[in-house]
Amino acid sequence: MKPIRIALTKGRLEKDTVALFETMGFDCTALHNKGRRLILPIPDANIEVVLAKAADVITYIEHGVCDVGVVGKDTIMEYGGSFFEVADLGFGACRFALAGKKGDDFYAGYAEKTIATKYPNVTRQFFEKKNMDVNIVKIEGSVELAPLLGLADAIVDIVETGSTLRENGLEVFEEVAPISARVIVNTVSMKLDQQTIETLIGNMERARKGEEVR
Amino acid sequence: MPRYNLITPEGTRDYLFEEAAAIQKTEQTIHHLFEARGFSRVITPAIEFLDVYNENGHSIPVEYMYKLTDYKGRLMVIRPDSTMPIARLCATRLRDAALPLRLYYSQSVYAQNRVLAGRRDEVKQSGVELIGAEGLRADLEMVSLAADVLSGCHLKPFRIEIGHIGIFNALADALHIDEVEREQIRLYIESKNYPALDDYLVRFGDSHEATVLRQLPRLFGTAQVFTQAQTLLAGTKAEETLSYLKKLYEQLCRMDCGSMVSVDLGIVNRTDYYTGIVFKGYIEGHGEEVLSGGRYDRLVKQNGAYVPAIGFAVNIDAVAHAINQKEPIARAHADVLIVAKDEEALPHAFELLSRYNEWGKTAEFFCDDAEKARAYATLRGIPKIVFLKEGQSEEVSAEEASK
Repeated sequence: MKPIRIALTKGRLEKDTVALFETMGFDCTALHNKGRRLILPIPDANIEVVLAKAADVITYIEHGVCDVGVVGKDTIMEYGGSFFEVADLGFGACRFALAGKKGDDFYAGYAEKTIATKYPNVTRQFFEKKNMDVNIVKIEGSVELAPLLGLADAIVDIVETGSTLRENGLEVFEEVAPISARVIVNTVSMKLDQQTIETLIGNMERARKGEEVR
Repeated sequence: MPRYNLITPEGTRDYLFEEAAAIQKTEQTIHHLFEARGFSRVITPAIEFLDVYNENGHSIPVEYMYKLTDYKGRLMVIRPDSTMPIARLCATRLRDAALPLRLYYSQSVYAQNRVLAGRRDEVKQSGVELIGAEGLRADLEMVSLAADVLSGCHLKPFRIEIGHIGIFNALADALHIDEVEREQIRLYIESKNYPALDDYLVRFGDSHEATVLRQLPRLFGTAQVFTQAQTLLAGTKAEETLSYLKKLYEQLCRMDCGSMVSVDLGIVNRTDYYTGIVFKGYIEGHGEEVLSGGRYDRLVKQNGAYVPAIGFAVNIDAVAHAINQKEPIARAHADVLIVAKDEEALPHAFELLSRYNEWGKTAEFFCDDAEKARAYATLRGIPKIVFLKEGQSEEVSAEEASK
C-alpha cells in the first residue's frame, strides 16, 4: 500500500510532533538522525515524513503530494488555501496581537495608521473587519523596531510571552487571534484513505490528551 | 518597460504534442459518451456580460473573474463557468424548447487564482446539464453518468461522492441565523475545520441542530454514515432529505459503479446555486476533485418560471494528465514520406498523399531537396520514403535509405 506522507513544519512544531509520535509508539529513529535526507520513513507505520518550511507544508498538502500536514494557525491565516483543517494539537500555542508603544492610544484620532508586520494578509483582514483603512508595511526581521524608529504606529505580530515587547517599551493593544499547531489534510486523500487518516488523527488527538492510543 | 512577448500569462500554458493528443483523446471519449446518452452540444461565447454571472444572488465572486469592457464601457467577463450561460440560453432561445433538455458543452473556463499557488487560470471543462427533470431518476442518471465518464476514461480506482445541500440548509434554517453566521458555519463545514466549528457553535448551546451541525463534516464514508446520520437527524427537518439521499445511494450501490460511490454529508459547495444533491469525483494522484456537480432548481428559467436542472463538469486537463501518466500517448509520426525529385512529379506527389490517406496511412510531403529526405525520415522516425520522378516512383524503407 502507498504510504501516508506527512509534512511537518521544521523547528519547534517538528520537535513537538515527533515527541507526540513517540508517545504513539512510532519508531522515530530516522527523524532524530535525519542527516541530509528530506523524506524520512517511520517503519512499521507505513508513514513517510517530509520536513518543510511552514508555508510549503500548505502548498504540499493543497497539491496532494503530501496527505497530512502539521502547521501553525498563523501560517494558515496568512497563506490560506483549500484543505481540511481537522485537529488542533494545542502545542505551539501563542497569539497574533496588535502592539505598539506603551501608553499610546492606537484608535485615537482620524489620521491614517501605519502598521508594520510580517503577516500582511492577517493584518489586512483584521482591519477590514473593523472597516479601517490602514497603511501596511511588510517587514522581514524584528518588527518591534518599526514603532521605535517611527516607521509605524503599531505592529501585528506573533506574541508568546510578551517579554520582547516589554523590554522595548511596547505593549499589546489588542489580541488579533489565538494560534496553535493544526493538522491539515488534503481533500482527496481524506476521501481515498479515509480509514488510515482518521485512525492516525484520532490517535494523535488521543496521545495529545494523554489517552491510550488505539 | 519589460516586454512580455515570449511568455504566456500566469496560470495559462501551451499544450504540445502528447499533451494536446491526450486532451483530444479525453474530449473525444467524453463527447462520445455524452452523445451516446442523448446530449446535444452547445457552444457559448468566451466573453459574456458580467450581469450573466450576477443573476438573482447566484453571483460568482467578482474578484475571481477576468474583467474587461466593451466599446460602450460595459463590464464584460471571460467565462468563469459554463452553467450560467446555459441558464441564459434556456431563458432566451430555448424558452419554448420541450423538456427535458439534455445539453453538453466542452470549453475553457477562466478564474483569477492566487498567484504562484500552482493553479491554472484556464481550465478546459466538459460538462452536461439535464434541464427540466427532477427526482430520483434524473439524479440517478447524472450521478451514474459521472461514474461512467471516469470509468470510460480508464481512471479506476476513482471515487464518486454524493451529498445533499438540503441537510445543511434545513439545520441552518432551524438556528435562525443571519447570512454572515451561516456562511461562516458553511465554511468551517466545507473545510472540515472541526475545532473552529465546535468553538463557533458553542453560542447556540445544546440545541439539537447545533449538535448535528457539529457532526456533519465528520459524516462521510460508506453505508455506515446513514446509520449514524439517521439517529442524529431524527426529528429534524433534514430527516426526509437524508432518506432521499440514502435511497439514491442504495440504487447506485446496485450498479457497476457501486463500489466506487461514497457519501459526504459535509459537502457544502461555495457555488451557492445548488439546491439538491451535490457530487464530486476523485482520482488517485490529483490533489483536488476532477469532477463536480449538483442539482440547481432555482437558476434556470423558461418564460419567467423556474425549471429544475442538474449538471456536472469534468476537469479535462486533470483527466488528460492522469491518462498521460498512466499510459503515455506516443507522439505520432507519418507512415510514409513523399518526395518529388523534380517539379514534373509534383502533381503525382500530391495525388499520392491523398491515396495513402485513403488507404488509412498517414503521409507527409517533403518540401526540401530530395537528397535531404533520408536524413529527415531518420530524424522523424518515418519508416518509408517514396521518391517520385516524372512517370516513375521508387519506394525505399528508411533503414535502407540511411545506408
